Amino acid sequence: MSPVSMEKLNLMAPPSTQIIERRSLTVGILFGIGALVLAFVETDKFFHAYLLAYMAWLGVSLGSMAFLMIHHLTGGGWGMVIRRPLEAAAKTTPLMAILFIPIIAGMKHIYFWLNPAAIANNPHLVELRHGYLSTSGFIFRAVAYLVIWIGLAWLLTRLSATQDQPPVRNLSPRFRVIAAPGLVIYAFTITFAVIDWVMSLSAPWISTIYGFIFIVGQCLSAMCFIVIIERILARHQPMSVILRSKDVHDHGKLMLTFLMLWAYFSYSQFLIIWAGNLPSEITWYSRRLYHGWHWVGLAMVIFHFAVPFCLLLSRPFKRNVYTLVWLAGWLMLMRYADLFWYIEANFNERFFVTISDVVLPIAMGGFWLWFFFRNLRQRPLLPPYALHARELVEAIHE
Amino acid sequence: MKDEKIYGLMAEFVSPEAVVEAARRTYQAGYRKIDAYSPFPIEELSEAIGFHNNGVAPICLTGGLLGCIGGFMLQWWINTINYPVNIGGRPYNSWPAFIIVTFEMTILFGGLAAVAGMLMLNGLPQPYHPVFNVPQFSGVTRDRFFVLVFSTDPQYDPVETRRFLEGLSPHSIAEVPA
Amino acid sequence: MVQAIEVEPGENKAPVMASGHTFGSITDKVSAMVLTRPLTKGWIFGFAICFLILQWMLYAMCWLFFKGVGVWGVNIPIGWGFAIVNFVWWIGIGHAGTLISAILLLLRQSWRNSINRFAEAMTLFAVACAGMFPIFHLGRPWVFYWLFPYPNTMNYWPNFRSPLVWDVFAVSTYGTISLVFWFVGLIPDLATMRDHAEKKWIKTVYGMLALGWRNSTRHWSRYETAYLLLGGLATPLVLSVHTVVSFDFAIGIVPGWHTTIFPPYFVAGAIYSGFAMVLVLAIPIRKFYHLEDFITPRHLENSAMVMLATGWIVAYGYAFEAFMNWFGGDQYESYVRWNRIHGPYAPWYIALLMCNILIPQILWWRKVRLSNFWLFMISMDILIGMWLERFVIVVVSLHRDFLTSSFGMYYPTQFDWAIFIGTLGFFTACMFLFLRLLPAVPIFELRSLLPEAKAVEHE
Repeated sequence: MSPVSMEKLNLMAPPSTQIIERRSLTVGILFGIGALVLAFVETDKFFHAYLLAYMAWLGVSLGSMAFLMIHHLTGGGWGMVIRRPLEAAAKTTPLMAILFIPIIAGMKHIYFWLNPAAIANNPHLVELRHGYLSTSGFIFRAVAYLVIWIGLAWLLTRLSATQDQPPVRNLSPRFRVIAAPGLVIYAFTITFAVIDWVMSLSAPWISTIYGFIFIVGQCLSAMCFIVIIERILARHQPMSVILRSKDVHDHGKLMLTFLMLWAYFSYSQFLIIWAGNLPSEITWYSRRLYHGWHWVGLAMVIFHFAVPFCLLLSRPFKRNVYTLVWLAGWLMLMRYADLFWYIEANFNERFFVTISDVVLPIAMGGFWLWFFFRNLRQRPLLPPYALHARELVEAIHE
Repeated sequence: MKDEKIYGLMAEFVSPEAVVEAARRTYQAGYRKIDAYSPFPIEELSEAIGFHNNGVAPICLTGGLLGCIGGFMLQWWINTINYPVNIGGRPYNSWPAFIIVTFEMTILFGGLAAVAGMLMLNGLPQPYHPVFNVPQFSGVTRDRFFVLVFSTDPQYDPVETRRFLEGLSPHSIAEVPA
Repeated sequence: MVQAIEVEPGENKAPVMASGHTFGSITDKVSAMVLTRPLTKGWIFGFAICFLILQWMLYAMCWLFFKGVGVWGVNIPIGWGFAIVNFVWWIGIGHAGTLISAILLLLRQSWRNSINRFAEAMTLFAVACAGMFPIFHLGRPWVFYWLFPYPNTMNYWPNFRSPLVWDVFAVSTYGTISLVFWFVGLIPDLATMRDHAEKKWIKTVYGMLALGWRNSTRHWSRYETAYLLLGGLATPLVLSVHTVVSFDFAIGIVPGWHTTIFPPYFVAGAIYSGFAMVLVLAIPIRKFYHLEDFITPRHLENSAMVMLATGWIVAYGYAFEAFMNWFGGDQYESYVRWNRIHGPYAPWYIALLMCNILIPQILWWRKVRLSNFWLFMISMDILIGMWLERFVIVVVSLHRDFLTSSFGMYYPTQFDWAIFIGTLGFFTACMFLFLRLLPAVPIFELRSLLPEAKAVEHE
């Protein structure tokens, strides 16, 4: 029983991550070529799937950034061990900015309100089209959101990087100065962003809880992703030493919390619209509860909520990263399926899956993971000169 | 040789570390019918006397499940069988609307079961208990800690057990009259 | 005994408890508040005033029973006046108590331990105040039990598709679980009171209430499990209660009510006003009962930060309700938006934005969060703001909805005001009695916060 010292630990990401980084890039390029072919073969479907894949991966980036800010505000050991993976994920925002370009290029294939004939019989939409939903407004706002997110991620990671050098410092108060307004800014920008990018697909349908559903969904995706990363790193130094089952337990609890919040928001939205039964609102659900889409909805209730919920109630299950990782992987798939139900039902009245729906998330994921692991390998997995990180390591006995 | 009128032997301690250590050693010495007392919950103390599974959680789960099933069945039975009324064209079995009351009933029965189960397993309310006969025992709600060996323990012996407890360097030792 | 607890180095955060205390000194200090402290003039005076206000409420209620709900200002189109405004306001205030005792328990936040007892008491009294309003609003309050499903000679059942029936279940479950939670938390401290009381009859009363609790470690083990389970159950419960309250509005299709953000936005608003009430009570209590050692600036600052966070969720709610209504372009919803700003109740709406959104922003400054005076003033401001919010939601939506021919105005009468202010008297009178009769700070949980108690864990 001797205390571990920070100096003796090799804090850099293990070499195995380099292999994953390279393979991710290979997968990204291979599937990217496939996606490029699909862009010419089934252009419409390609762009629909592209938006879906983009929202799925953006969720991991922004959800991680949100967790990073929550960690800075609340403190606690659960956040310190995953701070660097969260930062690496938040730093993928520049990549997401580049990946947004095809959405702008393919706008005409995605957004029905760009087609004057489709909105001609709805004066309100015509008015919106010439005001808020104008092409330039859409692009301008998208650039603004992305710049804000990149800026936030940059501020958070830059300050954290100073803790790689001596002396030992406690920067918590300075992190809080960024994180507190940062969370507010994140909540507002992501809501405006999903109104533009996703909710407008069913315009003029609105649901005021829509932003919250996306926020908790992004946080859930991010926590699941982080658990997977923990599992990858868990067998090697330094994670094998610093990751305690207490922290994994906390991550499991956070998964459970956001899972319950997701269910709570989704159910509230459904109940209010179902009970109101107004023609302008219920159409959103009637589109998603017939023609095969109802199976997806039912699957969401069972496999996105009920089964994971029951599993997460178990304490031993949550405490063990090797069991928790399976559920985390499963839930990431379910997050994708949920977004599929939200986004693709706007395009197709009948439920079906295209090749693009499979190829594009993998292609984008390949690039995303390559960028993530590149970020992760640049810095130690624990900021060695952060006061709380030192306390964490000193508390561990071999 | 057991004195029928004696409930047990009680040793008093002044710090949580001392009582945990004493309880651990009493358990290791082979005493099984023992109890310990502390002014605030100490997880290590109940582990030290070999008490692990307290049985409250299953009772709570049972109560919650009963509330859940009962709550939903009540609404389902009323609205589809006993008193079906068409309200606003909604289906008789309006399950989206029934989830709320089902949920509340789950919480209500789960919570009440947890508390009732805790009190029942603890044997409370219990107006009289022999430990209160020991004058210094009132310190247990202030800053004193106690280890008690019941006279029903097979290893219990008035002389030997007292000697053993004295070896734990307690603040005081008292016989608990039944 | 020298070092303080849980100071985060380099951050000059106030400790959860002042240094220099022992198991004995904590016990003596808190139990003395009830057992040896004489009746002070301040207590008698304060209680007398609250009791008088309570009599005013009783007078108004007698008149209400005698004449009927017509003595209130409610009429078509505003059938839900003060009664529902006050119901939502009070039940929201209650939520902070459960939040502190249940959610912060699950989050292992040790700072909750000295304020949870009176916060839970606050919950109970607030739920009692809240419960009165819908029952009187029934018009025939003596048959309130018709709300519950029971086999009856009239052979009818409640309509389980109605959010008002959900409310009956949610609020009664909430009241029951809050009472049980509070009582379970009290049991070990009642035993402490029993052992420290001098007079025989006082000993007997506390002894009966303590159920024979004797601090056995087996009992503690089951106790902790049960308490944690209750916390785990009360957390979703508290969210569900205000969610159901929000459904009272959102399930209907009245413009301004029928919007999906209501559940989280109501819950956040509830916690917002609840923490404001916690501060309004905690600041005087810690001063007059000399509890500065146990209710430290840390508690006040953390509560202020919770208010800041929930205040922003409320602001988010206002912002996106307005923005999405505009985006959706529904004419009735647009009219509500216009009517809030330009209609006859516009001053109330502007005041609400000031009280709930603008003024609380000074909480961003740490100096404000650490100042008792400013915190007290902002908390009062938020309590007023949240009351105005419920007023705006209830009245402004109802007074002008779909048909211009059924537009109307709502003017509260003296009986509306008497019963509302009367519940404030009832609430404070109950708090005075609670402080006098029961340990206001959980003694056993404070004991476990001491460094000596924690020493065991590190073995």
